[in-house]
Amino acid sequence: MNTRLAVRALAGIALVIGTVVAAACAPQKPKGADLGASQSIKSLMEKRGLSEADVEAALKTYVPGGKYDDYMIFASGGQSGQVLVMGVPSMRLLKVIGVFTPEPWQGYGYGGDSTAVIDGAGQSGHKITWADVHHPNLSESKGDYDGQYLFVNDKANARVAVVDLADFNTKQIVVNPLVSSDHGGAFVTPDTDYVIETSQYPAPLGREYVPIDQYKDKYRGLAMFWKFDRKKGRIDPAQSWAIELPPYTQDLADAGKLGSDGWAFINSFNTEMAVGGTLEGKPPIESGASQNDMDYLHVINWKAAEKLVAEGKTTTIKGFRVLSMQTAAENGVLTLIGEPKSPHGCDVTPDGKDVIVGGKLDTHATVYNFDKIKALIDAKKYDGKDVYGIPILSFKESIRGQVEIGLGPLHTVFDDKGMAYTSVFLDSAVAKWDYKNLKLIEKLPVHYNIGHIMAAEGDTVSPDGHYVVAMNKMSIDRFTGVGPLYPQNFQLIDTDGDKMRILSDTPIGIGEPHYSQMIKIDKLKPLKMYPVGTNIYQGGIDPNATVAGKERIDRSKPGVVDVYMTAIRSHFTPDRIEVEEGDVVNLHITSLEQAEDQTHGFTINMYNVDLSLEPGKHENVTFKADLPGVYPMYCTEFCSALHLEMAGYVLVRPKGTPAPGASGSASGSASAAPSAAPNASAPKK
Amino acid sequence: MSHPSEVHQGNGGDRAGGGRKVRHLEVVPATKEGRPLGRMLATRWGILGATIAALGMFLYSIRLPWWHFWLFAPQYPRKGLELVVSLTGVSGDVAEVNEINHYIGMKHLEDAAVFERQIAFGAIVALGVIVLVLTLAEGKRFAALSATIAAGLPLGFVADSWWWLRRFGHELDAHAAVKIKAFTPQMFGGGKIGQFETFATPETGFYLAAGAVLILAIASYVRSRVCASCAKAATCGAVCTSLFVGPGAGLAGPGSTPPKET
Repeated sequence: MNTRLAVRALAGIALVIGTVVAAACAPQKPKGADLGASQSIKSLMEKRGLSEADVEAALKTYVPGGKYDDYMIFASGGQSGQVLVMGVPSMRLLKVIGVFTPEPWQGYGYGGDSTAVIDGAGQSGHKITWADVHHPNLSESKGDYDGQYLFVNDKANARVAVVDLADFNTKQIVVNPLVSSDHGGAFVTPDTDYVIETSQYPAPLGREYVPIDQYKDKYRGLAMFWKFDRKKGRIDPAQSWAIELPPYTQDLADAGKLGSDGWAFINSFNTEMAVGGTLEGKPPIESGASQNDMDYLHVINWKAAEKLVAEGKTTTIKGFRVLSMQTAAENGVLTLIGEPKSPHGCDVTPDGKDVIVGGKLDTHATVYNFDKIKALIDAKKYDGKDVYGIPILSFKESIRGQVEIGLGPLHTVFDDKGMAYTSVFLDSAVAKWDYKNLKLIEKLPVHYNIGHIMAAEGDTVSPDGHYVVAMNKMSIDRFTGVGPLYPQNFQLIDTDGDKMRILSDTPIGIGEPHYSQMIKIDKLKPLKMYPVGTNIYQGGIDPNATVAGKERIDRSKPGVVDVYMTAIRSHFTPDRIEVEEGDVVNLHITSLEQAEDQTHGFTINMYNVDLSLEPGKHENVTFKADLPGVYPMYCTEFCSALHLEMAGYVLVRPKGTPAPGASGSASGSASAAPSAAPNASAPKK
Repeated sequence: MSHPSEVHQGNGGDRAGGGRKVRHLEVVPATKEGRPLGRMLATRWGILGATIAALGMFLYSIRLPWWHFWLFAPQYPRKGLELVVSLTGVSGDVAEVNEINHYIGMKHLEDAAVFERQIAFGAIVALGVIVLVLTLAEGKRFAALSATIAAGLPLGFVADSWWWLRRFGHELDAHAAVKIKAFTPQMFGGGKIGQFETFATPETGFYLAAGAVLILAIASYVRSRVCASCAKAATCGAVCTSLFVGPGAGLAGPGSTPPKET
């Protein structure tokens, strides 16, 4: 239908091109226009003190408005409790998704339907509104990102959140009532059957009090296998189960893929089981946990575990089926392998054949080979057993080799050319190495104290290459001062050339991001708006959704006022809500908007109500009108030219005061000029 | 009654005039060879076929868009806003255009031409019947009547649409937030209202209807030529009893019956 316009546009373009060509062909202009341009760039470089490398980096990362980044990063927001969404190569922040912490812009956790997500995410009856967000993980199909969901764990309170990438909203937070902290999360199995969450600091399962001198007997670790119901887009706690683990401090985890599908790998430290006691003159955990030369890599056959769980060989703790470590050990579900001192990082290679583990106090990346491990387990060839009777495999016979790559290798990601990129914390460097031939290729200094590292789809079965991001804990001299709390530093690294090159530094001023993942932009299909009346948490049209002309205030239940309300530029209908002190007020607000990016906000003075009403969204808010007074309500987004006029009043009259009008809304003052009908938006049919 | 041979004219000259013209018809008595008879039949069925085809196009145009309005503003960078008008309604970004229009107090688009949209199908069927009856029955004096009446559909659409546009642009709610001078939105080509650049153009349905009218006009012209050369031309009145209906309109067509004795 736009053909005609297209033809016109083409004709116009042809005309412009014709003119330009004609101008270019005109002989009078001497050669030198190009020189002029480069000279102006040169003077610009001089003026700004930029090197040629800087300019090249700028050209590689600049994304003009209207053009899109090639990749999207989902980064942990650290202590902020949120997830950051950024573009690559621009490294621009696109969104902060409210996850564990109320987020006012999205109206997340301020009276609307989202409040239930956050309120339901407390531990043991305590409301928790922050999180130590660690590892965002994208949902996978056949080991590759599918762009549908994001899972992220809160280390501090052992919780896992589900973010729906249709609308980039947090839809669910599940609380692990068995453990007190987690770290190895929220890693997914290759088809996202399970989201794996492993505990960090051992504690009695079920969060009960047990004296710390019973640490060895009663304190435990745990690997939770949260069952993900992709159809519903939710984790199903009833179908989830866990494996009890010894009280070694389990750390990072990864799921096997391709040949190693059905297996999971978790590293651990503090196999010494040090419990501190500094006031009693005992060594702190930091040294107590660093005495052994070897800690344990946990190898879990989760498909076998799943079978045992289905057979009922579990005990139930706080409603969750838990496979004891004895049962797990006896059935070949749980096996240990030594790993070099204070290991960190646990990353399965794209081909699923190897598992790479770093060491915070080691200089090697250790490459475990799955086939070797499997052969040892199948042959029941053990080096011995630990104190809990869990079989231990020979370290030497399980590994393919070790590569000396620097001080404090942590995490490893991969590119499409068989290269591994490992963050090297103490060296503050990224090591690029050939993981097939176990050969260090190159090291690139980063700034500073790199923790996690991330590559484009770098933990999937088919990494993309091109980019690696160093997630640095310190920025020290990289940015201008903003007080003693320094931003973290994301460094974008170009891996396409022979040598790795840093393209940009991006300050992260909201928390300490741990892990992140980078996905090709075309795998994401985000919504532009919702069908009118959508409840984004329940899915589908909310039963309380209202259409134009059907707005009403229902007072049929004593002490309850239900307001069926709509929002569209630039008015709320109704715009006056008169209630009596003590009434419970339920606002059911539907945005009637169906234009892209036409978002309204909603707030009521004093009641801590704050909503974001994206086009089509429906929200339900309940508050008790406990204090008589006049409370303006208004739209908090600059939605339109008459945004400031998108307002109204909640009037709370003192208990026992008669309502001013039969309908419950105050009649307009007599002196006022006859105003437009309050329902200006209602159809005039 | 004139002698058939008198209308046997212009054979050579017109043929020389080239094939692109509508062929000058030769109304000659049917002969044993059947050649003029065949031509006669072709003409007659051609007229009828063209008329039915044109009416089919009218009917089909109900399903097509007739007019297209675009509204471009910075806030709608992807493709602006579009309104697609058909004989039975308006589609596209109706809700959003209504939303914008409410600021200036314009009525909802759904409130425009309600009656016209309701009767559209019936009107086309009625029009078709009238055109068909006329085609079958109209005599020399009214040879162009069917096409003229049919032309009323596209022309009437344009006139009615314009009238509604003008009415909507002039009957603005006095209490609207934004007061603007009464105006008539552009029906053809570009215009500007506020921050909106507008562009309007006919769509396939309109072109199809206009094509149908053209076909009917051609059929009428052919018809007029038939009448001019008809054996009954001198006595022909409002109703033609030779071509399609009436005692003289046998299979062989006009002029075929009288000269039986040849």
